[in-house]
Amino acid sequence: MAVMRMGYVHARVTDLAEAKEHYANTLGLYETHSEPGKVFYKGWDEWDHHSVVLEEGGVGVAKFGFKVEYESDIDAIEKKAQDFGLTVERMSAGDNLEVSDGIRFTSPSEHVFEVYHSQKVIGTEVGTHNPDAFPRHLVGVGVPALDHALILAENVRKMEDMFKAVFDFFPTERVQTDLNDDDAHFIASWMTCNNQIHQIAVLEGEQSKLHHFAFKLDNWDQVGRAADLFSMDDVPIDIGPTRHGITRGQTIYFFDPAGNRNEVFAGGYPAYRDRPINKWTPDAIAKGIFYHARELNERFTTVYT
Amino acid sequence: MPTVTIEPSGEVIYLEPDETVLSGLYKAGYAYTIGCRRGGCAICKVDCRAGEFHYNRPIADTVINETERADGTCLSCRAVPDGDITIEMRGENVRLVNPFLRQINEKARLRAEAKQAADAERLTSTTTKE
Ligand SMILES: [Fe+2]
Repeated sequence: MAVMRMGYVHARVTDLAEAKEHYANTLGLYETHSEPGKVFYKGWDEWDHHSVVLEEGGVGVAKFGFKVEYESDIDAIEKKAQDFGLTVERMSAGDNLEVSDGIRFTSPSEHVFEVYHSQKVIGTEVGTHNPDAFPRHLVGVGVPALDHALILAENVRKMEDMFKAVFDFFPTERVQTDLNDDDAHFIASWMTCNNQIHQIAVLEGEQSKLHHFAFKLDNWDQVGRAADLFSMDDVPIDIGPTRHGITRGQTIYFFDPAGNRNEVFAGGYPAYRDRPINKWTPDAIAKGIFYHARELNERFTTVYT
Repeated sequence: MPTVTIEPSGEVIYLEPDETVLSGLYKAGYAYTIGCRRGGCAICKVDCRAGEFHYNRPIADTVINETERADGTCLSCRAVPDGDITIEMRGENVRLVNPFLRQINEKARLRAEAKQAADAERLTSTTTKE
């Protein structure tokens, strides 16, 4: 049954020591492996070896990993990717630390996507046997898991087509110039493959760029507490706490020490394949993105890595 | 005590030692186009017309390329002046959005100048006695 989720983000940072301070001590990710120039993290409620890899040198995103349920799904997705016109290469187990074999391709947006079927299972920090609700000694925000990413692409419609055809994703919300899909130009699309409101979103913009990657939180209280911690740790807040009209998520956008945008994201309504797509027209885009300010700050479309 | 002079208006802003150009300007009540404030998005570039500065963190080549490292391009969120510098904004001017902060900065500059002058005088008189 194809892709289960976006499993990892591999990002670049200019200074690994500062990045560690942010991702481990402010966000509270658990370090699972470290080597010169690289560090691997998972959130406390994640069981696979890692969901975030940071590499020293540059900024932006190196690649994304998508996890499928069965080994045999890899062949099926390879075929779909080739049918879509993508050049696919095989990757071996160990190409990525503790990640299985799989495939790799570059999307029409010039982002690198990897598909794998397993990672070394470490287990969540509360375990599975009579587990407690959360680990007692969380650090900082204590994010439980990676949530989603927003990437930029020149051709949003083509990216949506790719996610539908290759990964069997479906859009939950869109910004489009016309309510009639055939006449519309797609400005942005939010997509998923399960009940999570979005796992990947694509916004019209410069090829290969990262807008942000986001971590899950449960509710407004946790979002507010995260904002307090960002002040304590001098994390630059881009916007928030506020709500997105699109997805209804409660959010803060902020920057890591290399200038990559992060987000903490809570809520969002459940997605279903048969639920009609929410369509936002450009006249309401500001309310769609920032539901309270109803003003699209300049940075939303100009600041990315 | 580094100062930043902003061309073409000629405003002079006082910076604390080790403070970045961006931080100094915002603390002094000025605003201009900025983004991540951490050296990644490249949007806060200005041009350095006189004086020297250094970057307080490594900067990605995708943000400041080789040419820009030599042509006076100044990524203001990571640039720390080594002495007095003069900058020119790109495609916009700084906006004074908080005159109150501007006043505080101006007084800090005058105090620092007075202290420097006093220190210099003390040094001169000591030298004369010997
Ligand atoms: Fe997001």
